[in-house]
Amino acid sequence: MKFEDAVLKSVKLFLDGKVPPKTAELAEEGRIYTPEYFDALEERLLGEVKEEDE
Amino acid sequence: MVLPIDGPIPGANYTSDTRNYPWHRPPEYTDYDDAIEYLIGKINEPESQDLVMSLLALKMDVTSVVTSLLLQSISKGKIPIDLAILIAGPVARYISIIADEAGVKHKMTVQTAGKMRITPTSLKMSLGIIDGGKAPAAPVKEPAPAAGGLMGKPKIEDITTASAEEQSAMLGSNDEEPDNGLA
Repeated sequence: MKFEDAVLKSVKLFLDGKVPPKTAELAEEGRIYTPEYFDALEERLLGEVKEEDE
Repeated sequence: MVLPIDGPIPGANYTSDTRNYPWHRPPEYTDYDDAIEYLIGKINEPESQDLVMSLLALKMDVTSVVTSLLLQSISKGKIPIDLAILIAGPVARYISIIADEAGVKHKMTVQTAGKMRITPTSLKMSLGIIDGGKAPAAPVKEPAPAAGGLMGKPKIEDITTASAEEQSAMLGSNDEEPDNGLA
């Protein structure tokens, strides 16, 4: 598997809401950059853009 | 008995400099969140953000942009390769969000068929260094300077040639014998 293929697979898995389980276990206080974090960020940023458009 | 005299001296690996390349040294970021934070910070730099948006505007997919960014960070010794693969997803998601915010249409996945190649020229066009909407203007021909002057090119009608007699005289082919006593 090439590096590009691995990156593509990783991106697809993350977009499906799957995160590396072992890395999450390593963090005592939990991970910051989770799919939920980016969903909230998207809502915040794009919500502001929509408000500006209106 | 053949002595392996061409081989390295035992223990030579301990004396050689193994810090020649950044990836020979321990990476700077080994934590998942730290590595993502580093890359997000890097993307948020004005130059990097312009470049990323330009590449997306050129129909380059997000995954290819992420791959380039990750390889750059690996080559600088910032993150290890395995961690780069793990953080590809969050970085791609972040790029997608800021592209949406900037109003840049983008594709997330790779399209192998009809994949567009990014060339230096297309990148410059996207960055505004070259105006892509207009074809390069043909070079304007400057009018030829007016002939004349001491060093100017003479006009054709001004060019006069010596007559046949003068030319033959200049070439020394006249019938008259020289009176210098040499003949």
